[in-house]
Amino acid sequence: MEGDQDVFCCSGCEMAAAIIKGAGLEAYYQEREAFPPRPEGFAGDWDALPVTAGPDGTCEIRLQVDGLRCASCVWVTENVLQRTEGVEEAVVSYATGRARVRWDPGKVSLGEVAGRISTLGYRPRILGEEGEPDRGLLVRLGVAAFAAMNIMMLSAAIYTGWLGGMDPRYVALFQWVSLALAAPVALWCAEPFFAGAVQGLRHGVLHMDLPIALGVAVLFGHAVVVTVLEGETYLDSMAMLVALLLAGRVLESRGRRRAAEAATALAATAPASARKRVGDAVETVPAEDLAPGDLVDVAAGEELAADGIVEGGQGSVRLALLTGEAEPVGVQEGSRVVAGSVLIDGFLTVRVTAVGRETVLQQMADQLRLSADRGIRPGFTDRIAPWFTAATLVVAAGAFAGWFLAAGLEKALLTTVAVLVVACPCALALSRPLAAAAGLGAAARRGLLFRSGDALLAMGEVDLVALDKTGTVTAGELEVVEAPREALRIASGLERFSAHPVGRAITRAAVEGGIPLPVAEEVREEAGFGIRGKVDGRWWEIRSGGPGRVSVRGEGGESWTIALGDRVREDSRSVVEEIRAAGRQVALLTGDVDEVAHRMAEEAGIQEVSARLSPLEKVDWIQARQDQGLRVLFAGDGLNDGPGLAQAHVGIAMGTGAASSILVADGVISVPSLRPILAGFRAAAAVRDSIRKNQVRSIGYNVAAVTLAAAGFVNPLVAVILMPISSGVVIWGAFRVEQAV
Amino acid sequence: MNAIFFLLPVAVLLGALFAFLFVMAVKRGQFDDLDDPPKRILKD
Repeated sequence: MEGDQDVFCCSGCEMAAAIIKGAGLEAYYQEREAFPPRPEGFAGDWDALPVTAGPDGTCEIRLQVDGLRCASCVWVTENVLQRTEGVEEAVVSYATGRARVRWDPGKVSLGEVAGRISTLGYRPRILGEEGEPDRGLLVRLGVAAFAAMNIMMLSAAIYTGWLGGMDPRYVALFQWVSLALAAPVALWCAEPFFAGAVQGLRHGVLHMDLPIALGVAVLFGHAVVVTVLEGETYLDSMAMLVALLLAGRVLESRGRRRAAEAATALAATAPASARKRVGDAVETVPAEDLAPGDLVDVAAGEELAADGIVEGGQGSVRLALLTGEAEPVGVQEGSRVVAGSVLIDGFLTVRVTAVGRETVLQQMADQLRLSADRGIRPGFTDRIAPWFTAATLVVAAGAFAGWFLAAGLEKALLTTVAVLVVACPCALALSRPLAAAAGLGAAARRGLLFRSGDALLAMGEVDLVALDKTGTVTAGELEVVEAPREALRIASGLERFSAHPVGRAITRAAVEGGIPLPVAEEVREEAGFGIRGKVDGRWWEIRSGGPGRVSVRGEGGESWTIALGDRVREDSRSVVEEIRAAGRQVALLTGDVDEVAHRMAEEAGIQEVSARLSPLEKVDWIQARQDQGLRVLFAGDGLNDGPGLAQAHVGIAMGTGAASSILVADGVISVPSLRPILAGFRAAAAVRDSIRKNQVRSIGYNVAAVTLAAAGFVNPLVAVILMPISSGVVIWGAFRVEQAV
Repeated sequence: MNAIFFLLPVAVLLGALFAFLFVMAVKRGQFDDLDDPPKRILKD
């Protein structure tokens, strides 16, 4: 855009450019790597939002900004905000597209701040409540790691002293310092494990935290006694154990937090407002102030704020949020319309029948949220933990009894402590969170965000992959499939200001094809009919020419056809082939008519097709396959896919889809492709493999070490060498997950 | 060698000082976002 002459596709872009230049940020145009979406009309009544001012009189809000596609987009947004009068602070995250804005309500309103963002072509939405990052674990880890390293250094000196003889005074000093360092580790850093063990006991479960807590308690108690009596302590083992386990927890909680963040970002909403008729006048009110019986006006491009019945006017409505299908549906007097749908063209007067929580949209979302609460599946590690704990206690008791009879109380006590030390299931407890964190990270880098490690593991069990059509196998947007270049040029001139999906598809195709958009004059758009106007001084008109086509006619008798349609994603076919090559079935489920469904399925290489399915029939379809013993993965994007996503063994939502489908899904695909599903399968297999191997290794280690300890062969030095070897093997195994995906 | 009775606690206290600095850094939120700052520096 930077040149002798600036050409803009629409007035919105021109305005955005003016703001960017005005702020002295022209560098954006040289550095950007992707075009922003087209600036749109400003939706929502931001000033109606309740905001509370802080003690210094400034307000703060967190926003999710959609459409930030490259680093330059973030940079320009952040800088434009910072240079807005009245904005005290603005930070936009490169990684997540979240913005934190602090402003002075006396100088600028939230509406103006949000308006600045939307004039640039990006769409601000409000983020819901979200917990602060858990810093506590990291602090505990820091303290434990510091103590562990120092204790190890001191212990190394003591162990070396065994060779050359060491003044007992120094040994005592080193041990007392070690004890002082170990005290905060055992009493404070290890607190989460004690809490977990106690909680488990209260529910009558032998939790994995129990043997850990037991080990830490025995080690520390033993060390206190022995330091006073002058003997050998295992404090180095204990501190390292706690530090390693905390590191595993920190990694796990980071992965989970990232997934939760992604989900809340996708579920963020813009505030809705409506134009209500009061007598003869029309006033703009927040959506929550509407009541059943009110009359509201809805103009083209606006979103419906409530459910209702059309009383006057006509137009076409896009119901994508509800049905998942992109094609607009015509409505006239007497038609029912629902909140959340967008009026593409025309003008409606609607009698409100339901608002807020009573709307179809909200009720579906609530229902989905309820069904999403399905509890955590116990992992293999949690299932063997009770046996493991019980076995350790039995062996320890046996060793104590045996040695008490054979060599007296002191030797018996020492051996029992050694058994409990080496039996502490550090490696076993680490294996699952580490492998899961590695797998979640590997899948996320390839575009598939999982809600939990359980969801990732469940993916490995899938036999049948059911795919929704619109927005999943296909791109979900109307696109120009075929058009003569000249027709596209003329049409883009006429359609460049149109909000209709057809107009947008044509303009987008022209811009992508490098066609300079001509200037059109006297353009008139007639709802449900077409568009007329002058391009290059001659009259042209665009009319609907049957399903999926529009005709472009000129006054000179020219007549061209532009074919439009929802296209199968470029890589869908290869993804389907690879899924099938891995021995899994693939099926296509859609609410669309048979003909379209079969054509799309053929294009994507899918044999099994079920068309004309309502959302609930999709659930029945999945249920029927599950009754046959198949584990079904369902991928979809619409609100209507929500029940299916909840029913399936693994539900995967498209990040571009309806917010409620994302809330209920186990995983979210963050790129416009199905390829991440393959990465998910690979990650699930790698994690499963890694966990299984690590469990075998760590159980093998524990059995061997406990046997040695019970036989009386283990002293503190042997323990401190054995333990990190087992943990190291587990960590190494987890790192191999990334390579395997 | 008696110096060790003095030097060892000093060394541990020095270490504790750094552990304390780390804890302060965490509490001030320096570790909350590890993805953004490395990218931010490229744009200034």
